[in-house]
Amino acid sequence: MQASRARLFKEYKEVQREKMADPDIQLVCDDSNIFKWTALIKGPSETPYEGGIFQLAFAVPEQYPLQPPQVRFLTKIFHPNVHFKTGEICLDILKNAWSPAWTLQSVCRAIIALMAHPEPDSPLNCDSGNLLRSGDIRGYQSMARMYTRLAAMPKKG
Amino acid sequence: MVSDSITTASIPPAQNARDFGKKKRAHRSAKLKQCKLDARREQWLSQCTAKNKGCKDENNGGVQRRNGGNRSLEDLEMNSRGEEMDGSIRQYRDLDSPSNSPTSEIGSVLDAADSGTNFTGSSSSGSSSSGGSCSGCITEDEEGGGEDDGCLDDWEAVADALAADEDGKGQSQNPCSESPPQGDSVGQVVSPSQVTDNSMGVGGGIPKPECPKTIPGASGNSRAWRPDDAFRPQSLPNLSKQQSLPNPHRHYGGGIAWACNSAVPAPSSCPVCYEDLDFTDSSFLPCLCGFRLCLFCHKRILEEDGRCPGCRKPYENPAEVEASVNGGSLTFRLARSCSMITRS
Repeated sequence: MQASRARLFKEYKEVQREKMADPDIQLVCDDSNIFKWTALIKGPSETPYEGGIFQLAFAVPEQYPLQPPQVRFLTKIFHPNVHFKTGEICLDILKNAWSPAWTLQSVCRAIIALMAHPEPDSPLNCDSGNLLRSGDIRGYQSMARMYTRLAAMPKKG
Repeated sequence: MVSDSITTASIPPAQNARDFGKKKRAHRSAKLKQCKLDARREQWLSQCTAKNKGCKDENNGGVQRRNGGNRSLEDLEMNSRGEEMDGSIRQYRDLDSPSNSPTSEIGSVLDAADSGTNFTGSSSSGSSSSGGSCSGCITEDEEGGGEDDGCLDDWEAVADALAADEDGKGQSQNPCSESPPQGDSVGQVVSPSQVTDNSMGVGGGIPKPECPKTIPGASGNSRAWRPDDAFRPQSLPNLSKQQSLPNPHRHYGGGIAWACNSAVPAPSSCPVCYEDLDFTDSSFLPCLCGFRLCLFCHKRILEEDGRCPGCRKPYENPAEVEASVNGGSLTFRLARSCSMITRS
């Protein structure tokens, strides 16, 4: 408990110090609870998610950093490894490949990398995974782009 | 300016070496070149300050008169070195410059008498063997500003021999061989040896502050170490290597290499809890991958999934590591360092 709090506090200071280090990631800690974090990440360029801003919710367990944080998308996203309804993310480093050396910031980076390189063989979104596995890249991209425009971009007008 | 005067003074048989040196020079910064040259030359010059007065007439007169207007740094270096090293370096001059026949005859006569004793006198067998074969390297080195790869070892061997020789001989013959203040030393040496203004301007223009420290140390230590000698003391004060080489640790054996290895993965704070590592923590190396963390976090990880955060492999033999933590973390670390030394 105390260790995780101390570590999160250090991470918070690190984030404040290097706020501009990674312009694609904006990590914000909940005002009243250091175990709740929110992140805004930019969709990587040259992907159907380009131009969108996606919100992530972090729930940090008390055993952190020995246990990985629970991360889910708050913004709707059409991606093979993200559950379309709950926003749950299937990413190995958030499960069995977690290492205490990772930080919330590096988790955000890993999620951006996952957006750019989907893994259709372990899908949480079967529609998306099937499109990719059947080779319909164009279908997948147009669906993903549509949801990005619908959910992750500011409404126009 | 150094490189120019040296190149013009170089001698015909060294043509190949000079071309090679020109190529090398293209890749080398002029500053580095000058630093090396100046440091080396000033060491020689200041070491033979006293001796110069005595014996320059008999030995150097031939060369300087022969070369006439062409005499320059090259000659100065040759001469001063020849006096210091007795037979050994004069041998190089013979090989390099058959055109300098008057001196080479004198030199070779002296060689016959001196070379054997000189080289057996230096304690490192490596220096003698490489010294015999590096005649080309020296010319090239002076012209090209120092070899980084092949010839530096020879350079060091020569420096070793020089130091060893200087120790035995210079001490007794030159009571005043302590170097004078560096800025003046070149001037003092240059003016009595009647060398042109050219070299005086060069030497005086770039004083080397390190050299005065180097030279007394050089005469204090008579042992010549190989550059890759594992037992060579890291803080060896003599042998201008440390000062004249820009990146000296490249030549040392395992010790520095291991220090470099350990410097990279040794963070100041534990990457898991972000607390500062104390001495026990920072000397604690629980995994072969080199990932360090504090003992507290290590214990917590062992209680949970027991895998190294760095490589995600399970910690080997948790019991043994625990024992080493409790009892002999120091021995554990020593064993690691030894293995790294042999590997590197």
